[in-house]
Amino acid sequence: MRPFKYTNTNSSSDAINLLIKNPNASYLAGGTNLIDLMKEDVEKPNELIDLTRLALTKIALLPTGQNGISIGALGKNTEAANHPMIREQYPLLSKAILAGASAQIRNMATNGGNLLQRTRCSYFYDTAMPCNKRNPGSGCAAKDGFNRMHAIFGWSEECVAVYPSDMAVALSALDANIKVIQPDGKFRSISIHDFHRLPEQQPELDNTLKRGELISSIELPKNDFANHSAYIKVRDRNSYAFALVSVAAGVVLNGNRIVSAHIAMGGVAHKPWRARKAEALLKGKMATVANFELAAQAEMEQAKPLAQNKFKVAMGKNTIVSALSMATKGT
Amino acid sequence: MEEKNKAIGKGVSRIEGILKITGKATYATDYPAKNMAYAVLFKSTIASGTITSLDTSAAEKSQGVLAVITHKNAPKLNLKGGLRGGALLQSPEILFHGQHIGIVVAQSFEQATHAAHLIHVEYQKKEGKTDFDKLLPNAEMPKGKELADLVRGDAKAAFENAAVRVEEIYETPIEHHHPMEPHSTVAVWEGEQLTLYNGSQIINGAQTAAASTLNLKPEQVRIISPFIGGGFGSKGGQWANLVLTAVAAKMVNRPVKLALTRQQMFNSVGLRQRNHQKISLGASKDGILQSLSHQTTSHTAVDSEYLEPCGDCSKIMYEVPNSLISYRVVPMNVILPTYTRGPGKSTGSFALESAMDELAYKLNIDPIELRLKNEPKKDPSNGKPWSSRKVVECLKEGAKAFGWDKRKAEPGTNKIGDDLVGYGVACGTYPARQRDSSAVIKLTKKGNNVNATVEIAASDLGTGTNTILAQTAADGLGLAMENITVKLGDSNLPPAAGSVGSVGAASFANAVNDACTKITDELLAKSGKQFFVRPTAKDLMISENVSAFETRADAKAPTQADQYSAHSFNANFAEVRVNALTGMVKVTRFLAVTGAGRILNPKTARSQIIGGNIWGIGMALSEESIIDPRWGNFATRSFADYHVPTNFDIGKLDAMFINEEDKIPNKMGVKGIGEVGIVGVAAAVANAVFNATGKRIRHLPITPDKLL
Ligand SMILES: Cc1cc2nc3c(=O)[nH]c(=O)nc-3n(C[C@H](O)[C@H](O)[C@H](O)COP(=O)(O)OP(=O)(O)OC[C@H]3O[C@@H](n4cnc5c(N)ncnc54)[C@H](O)[C@@H]3O)c2cc1C
Repeated sequence: MRPFKYTNTNSSSDAINLLIKNPNASYLAGGTNLIDLMKEDVEKPNELIDLTRLALTKIALLPTGQNGISIGALGKNTEAANHPMIREQYPLLSKAILAGASAQIRNMATNGGNLLQRTRCSYFYDTAMPCNKRNPGSGCAAKDGFNRMHAIFGWSEECVAVYPSDMAVALSALDANIKVIQPDGKFRSISIHDFHRLPEQQPELDNTLKRGELISSIELPKNDFANHSAYIKVRDRNSYAFALVSVAAGVVLNGNRIVSAHIAMGGVAHKPWRARKAEALLKGKMATVANFELAAQAEMEQAKPLAQNKFKVAMGKNTIVSALSMATKGT
Repeated sequence: MEEKNKAIGKGVSRIEGILKITGKATYATDYPAKNMAYAVLFKSTIASGTITSLDTSAAEKSQGVLAVITHKNAPKLNLKGGLRGGALLQSPEILFHGQHIGIVVAQSFEQATHAAHLIHVEYQKKEGKTDFDKLLPNAEMPKGKELADLVRGDAKAAFENAAVRVEEIYETPIEHHHPMEPHSTVAVWEGEQLTLYNGSQIINGAQTAAASTLNLKPEQVRIISPFIGGGFGSKGGQWANLVLTAVAAKMVNRPVKLALTRQQMFNSVGLRQRNHQKISLGASKDGILQSLSHQTTSHTAVDSEYLEPCGDCSKIMYEVPNSLISYRVVPMNVILPTYTRGPGKSTGSFALESAMDELAYKLNIDPIELRLKNEPKKDPSNGKPWSSRKVVECLKEGAKAFGWDKRKAEPGTNKIGDDLVGYGVACGTYPARQRDSSAVIKLTKKGNNVNATVEIAASDLGTGTNTILAQTAADGLGLAMENITVKLGDSNLPPAAGSVGSVGAASFANAVNDACTKITDELLAKSGKQFFVRPTAKDLMISENVSAFETRADAKAPTQADQYSAHSFNANFAEVRVNALTGMVKVTRFLAVTGAGRILNPKTARSQIIGGNIWGIGMALSEESIIDPRWGNFATRSFADYHVPTNFDIGKLDAMFINEEDKIPNKMGVKGIGEVGIVGVAAAVANAVFNATGKRIRHLPITPDKLL
């Protein structure tokens, strides 16, 4: 690890000003991702601005008129997953968070930090290897290498990495908004769908946050599928492993007829992958396994797997079917 | 098993347990030393070639740095001193990716780590041998004599003439030991005397290898290793880190501490090599084996050979008139492989016992029945009688306890919701041996209170060695366990075998037991009296009013032991659930039934067996290290990628022991359990997966993608 300066503050405007002043400074939240990357010499900030004293930890109802709830960016993953309001109204989020990492890590990890965790591509982590995300222009070692865990949707020649968060997959299905404080002190709200980006020619950019912007909260609009939602994560062991494929599904039902389906996938792209095609096909249809299969099939037909991850196409299809079956059965 | 008033046979908790859970047990890096400096290794980023330039100037100037040691300034070491894996900073030549190429020593660990990032290395690259699949066709005969082709009858002809045949290739990937305690060393020089605090499975082996490599006399080197945070073979032989710490300490003239990082564990301390195993089984229509071939191809380092003996189980498990066991090897620019839990037997049994399951399915015979039909009366590889062999009992009693009768013979027919349920069985074995070991017993008496100290340079991997030696001494001396102090893990103590190859318990316990018998004899002789009933050493200390007495025994295996074939045997039963949609597997129940002679402590023995089972489940389902052949590096490089089982992966585990009295391999009748616990496990799981799904996975690990 390289030497760095450590600063903490309980004022978000101070934090932002400190960051803007030093182009090599980083925000520090739970540190479960950033510190690991610093130990590996992937991230090399020379100053850490600790955010954990900011009063941005609350989980609360949004002001009347804007149905929904707000989750503080500096609150811990564990608290969010176990909060009664989230368990009742957004069980999908709770399940997705609990499917990630381990209890110890979730106790440290913050909701904002989780959104900004970086890919787990092993070439990104190994500084002896080429990686356009870590070192733009050096090439992508994964494209023709060990890419079993990598993307099947939306990748580019420059980068085939996947975004690893489970929480964010649920946030995508829930149409969350990410609220950030800009350097000028004003707030801006970014839809989860526009928050993360595809790699294109700039894989070094994971998301659309601008330098200095600080995530203050995650806002969840009200929905009608709390009792008809499911999160399924397929992985190489039953706990403490990143997803091969995961699916968050919420279904609004009228009797056995689908009013709307909300499906997002993890482990398949550089951002949570919203399965819009499957959703469109399901709208107005009966909730039957046959219909789920048709929709899942249509979604997965768009996939472009790599040499070692062809299995993700069938796995993705099965997991969508499985998640929809579980969601429509209800709780 | 449990006898009244006897410590042996009781399920006693580990005597050092409280020290461990309170953090007071001193592992290698827990030894404080005044003025300690910290060393960090840095490694090559190519697999094959030569270092052409090594710029350490920035690192040397970096804050706190005391020395940067590379091949340019390292002292000359003896490369044939008995350390494994080379990487001793003796030349600019690179033989594998991640070879150590230098050490930074600094006032603090952080300073050393930082400085290591400032080193700039240039290489002349050579094309490395890094692609096993490509090199496979050019595999060579291994050099080791014990790996020569072993031929009985004509396996090929018998296979071709057999009514029912199975011929398949089974693959196991590279695996890593990954003990919780990474390899670490504290080196302290006092003049020309060197003390190395270092987790060592073989105390005397570490001492002689370190001394010889450093061009010292063994008496100049002391190894201290009372606790080891797991080793699984990787701390059996010693690796460069042991002596490089000593080199660093000498150069900076201060005690030095070096601990490998988890990432460095992938290419510093050996690995279990990838094995490509071809099994050919031929049988008559009623399931009598006619032919068994087990042909293994593996890789080794370019400059040194180690092969797992994958054919060992096939040598002795079944009665078969025609057999071929062979090995071929590919030298690769990859770190030297080494002993890994159940070396050869765990991986070899996966191939053999999967093939037996395939044969049973083809024959439409229950897999237990097939094994019973081919049970050998004596060791088929050498004609020697068994000292004891309880495979039949393991299978029969296991089947009853596990509820084998509930298994559906036709795969894919046992369904609960989206889950497919399957049962699998597989057998295993591991040799039982006693190796030379010496022990000293020291008795002292105060009033009528007698205490004993047991001294032996054994090591305790966390398996319970301390405890079983206290139990043995308690019974051998007529004392309570509280009156026994066990001293081990120090090369100044009487020399002993290592905690390797399941020889530990037999070698150490017999040495201690012999010392107890000897000290009692000597006290008897000293008393000059005749006794009706033989008194204990404790009785004699009191009756003869002796205040202090000691003796040493040098124990060896009984001379007739090698006229027999002595092994532990087991039968493993697995129940799995496979999600039909996602392919995820969970082992819901596992039972290992073992015949391993006398069980000194059923509690620590059970822990050993279920620990082996968990290793086997990891091997079956999730553990795999992947090399990127373009660079020769590991693409799996942390615990986030290398998947050892988690609690959630493990269902209900049960261990049963078959009562077995066998004094042939050693006087105490101890056969050893550390290794056998993993043997047969992966096959039992894979066979259960077949029974659940109808899919035969011959390439471990069985990850979800393979079941879609
Ligand atoms: C072994 C392991 C296994 C894991 N498994 C999983 C898994 O299965 N699924 C999963 O989803 N996750 C998994 N994780 C990742 C874990 O969820 C993340 O590490 C964690 O959520 C990051 O949160 P943090 O608060 O620790 O972030 P930090 O490491 O502190 O920060 C991460 C990044 O976010 C920035 N940042 C943090 N907060 C803010 C803010 N408010 N505004 C602007 N920038 C900010 C930091 O500057 C930094 O760049 C795993 C982690 C580990 C170590």
